[in-house]
Amino acid sequence: MKPTWTIAQNTFREAVRNRIFAASIFFALAMLGLVLAVSSASLHEEVRLMKDVGLFLISISAVFIAIFTGVTLVYKELERKTIYTVMPKPIYRTQFLAGKYLGLAMTMFVLVVTMGTVLFGMLHLVDGAPGLEMIQAFWLIYLEVLIVMAVALVFSSFSTPFLSGLLTLGTFICGRFVDVMLTLRLGEADERTPVTEAISSLVRLVAHVTPDLSIYNITPHVVYGHPLSQDFILQATLTGLAYIGIGFVISAVLFSRRDFV
Amino acid sequence: MTQTALSTDDIAKTFNLGFLGALRPFKFLAQRMQLKGIAHSVEAVKGISLDVKVGEIFGFLGPNGAGKTTTIKMLMGLVHPTRGSGTLLGAPLGDRAARARLGFLPEHPYFYEHLKPLEFLDFYGRLFRMTARERKKRAEYLIDRVGLRHAVDRPLRKYSKGMIQRVGIAQALINEPDLVVFDEPMSGLDPMGRKDVRDIIFELREKGTTVFLSSHILQDVEMICDRVAIVVDGRMRSQGALDTLLDDPVERFEVVFSGLDDETATLVGTHAVDTRAIAGRHTFIVESENDLDAFVRMGLDAGGHLTSATPIRQSLEALFVAEASREAAP
Repeated sequence: MKPTWTIAQNTFREAVRNRIFAASIFFALAMLGLVLAVSSASLHEEVRLMKDVGLFLISISAVFIAIFTGVTLVYKELERKTIYTVMPKPIYRTQFLAGKYLGLAMTMFVLVVTMGTVLFGMLHLVDGAPGLEMIQAFWLIYLEVLIVMAVALVFSSFSTPFLSGLLTLGTFICGRFVDVMLTLRLGEADERTPVTEAISSLVRLVAHVTPDLSIYNITPHVVYGHPLSQDFILQATLTGLAYIGIGFVISAVLFSRRDFV
Repeated sequence: MTQTALSTDDIAKTFNLGFLGALRPFKFLAQRMQLKGIAHSVEAVKGISLDVKVGEIFGFLGPNGAGKTTTIKMLMGLVHPTRGSGTLLGAPLGDRAARARLGFLPEHPYFYEHLKPLEFLDFYGRLFRMTARERKKRAEYLIDRVGLRHAVDRPLRKYSKGMIQRVGIAQALINEPDLVVFDEPMSGLDPMGRKDVRDIIFELREKGTTVFLSSHILQDVEMICDRVAIVVDGRMRSQGALDTLLDDPVERFEVVFSGLDDETATLVGTHAVDTRAIAGRHTFIVESENDLDAFVRMGLDAGGHLTSATPIRQSLEALFVAEASREAAP
């Protein structure tokens, strides 16, 4: 465990000292501040809009930063050849991969907490302290980010950062609409052709193998002030951990067979 | 009996390239269908057997693309061999206990640029599970040893190539290894830097550490290595003690005369294989010992004064060039 923690700390430190990452946080915070300021000007709906738009911005910016950094997590080590001096040390490849993932998870935690604190603070100023549902929303956003990172890790284990980024983004979009995809049937009943049936089946198949990310978006509950049950949060957490576990095992298998040339 | 520090037995590596190169069933199909662009392979190392003894300095030589770095990567667990096997410090390749006693500097190293040198060495020390006290003591010593004390507050992104090479050597030695593998350790260093590295390698040998190094700088290799192996086109060409490899019978002599005019020297030179004139002296290369006496007499009879007659010993460079240009055995 010690080498994993060492690599995680180094990954976290690298991100914190990275100017691009700092600029990303600053940009995300600036966007959040601007949108919240505009929302607060809307008549009678300011709190609802602030919650709605604020959570959307936190979720989207965190997911995009997670995709960008996730797909280059291992690639950068290979490109800059830093992996050449780490892997010959007495560590397992899985420990290296786990350390990189954990380091990025710590970084994303800081990002979500920073942005969440800004939203929380502004809501507090406008409407008093937000309820438990807001904390639940932040936790679920963070879980979604961790799942997206695991997906990015899988794709980056065998493809280029660009392709991995596209595939991860595609998985994120599909994941948000899994419930729609599962019930999709193209065309009216009397107009269905073998082609529309095949496409519908393919979409449903993709939905079955895509992580269901829709459960991590609880904005409507937050907007109307309805906290979710502890059972739901626990179930979403366990499901998320299972997705992360599956993604990590696939990545570890691919990574263990890889040649570092 | 001398123990083996590092060995390989017919180790080989073929890289699968192309769009489907990594997927064996598709590669097989593509090859059957003659679609070479889709899946093809490159044999980087065709079978190398090495035997490096404990405590020696072993030079691993070869021209660019000979397979040196790929072989080293297989030893370091960075690349999986396609065939063959190897051992490090008596354990199979990949053994973690053996890797805890190993130091490695890759060719053209790049490091975590956000770190300062002491943080950088601390990071590697932690990977070896060294205690905080051990890490600090060792890192401080190595920073002084590689001459980077003046730059200890700068992050590595502000380091020159030579400074990166020095800090790379320090990380390779952080765990006081029993076996050190250096891939081109002199690369990017000025003459002073090269001397420092040579001194460090000699110090390591005095402590009983085995050093396995690849280098293009044959002068340094000849100066520091006990034994060498020459690899060409992924195969071993020569391996052995430098004295043995370079101990060919002396067949040429360098004879220097002064006091000969150019016309006479030209005439005398017709009996030599090569002639040079520098600052009033004429240097002749005589092909064999049998011709030496007659040649010297001729030069003296022509009015010249014999300045020297020296046997020409084969250099490592000559051996290297000869091996590199020799056609591979069928």
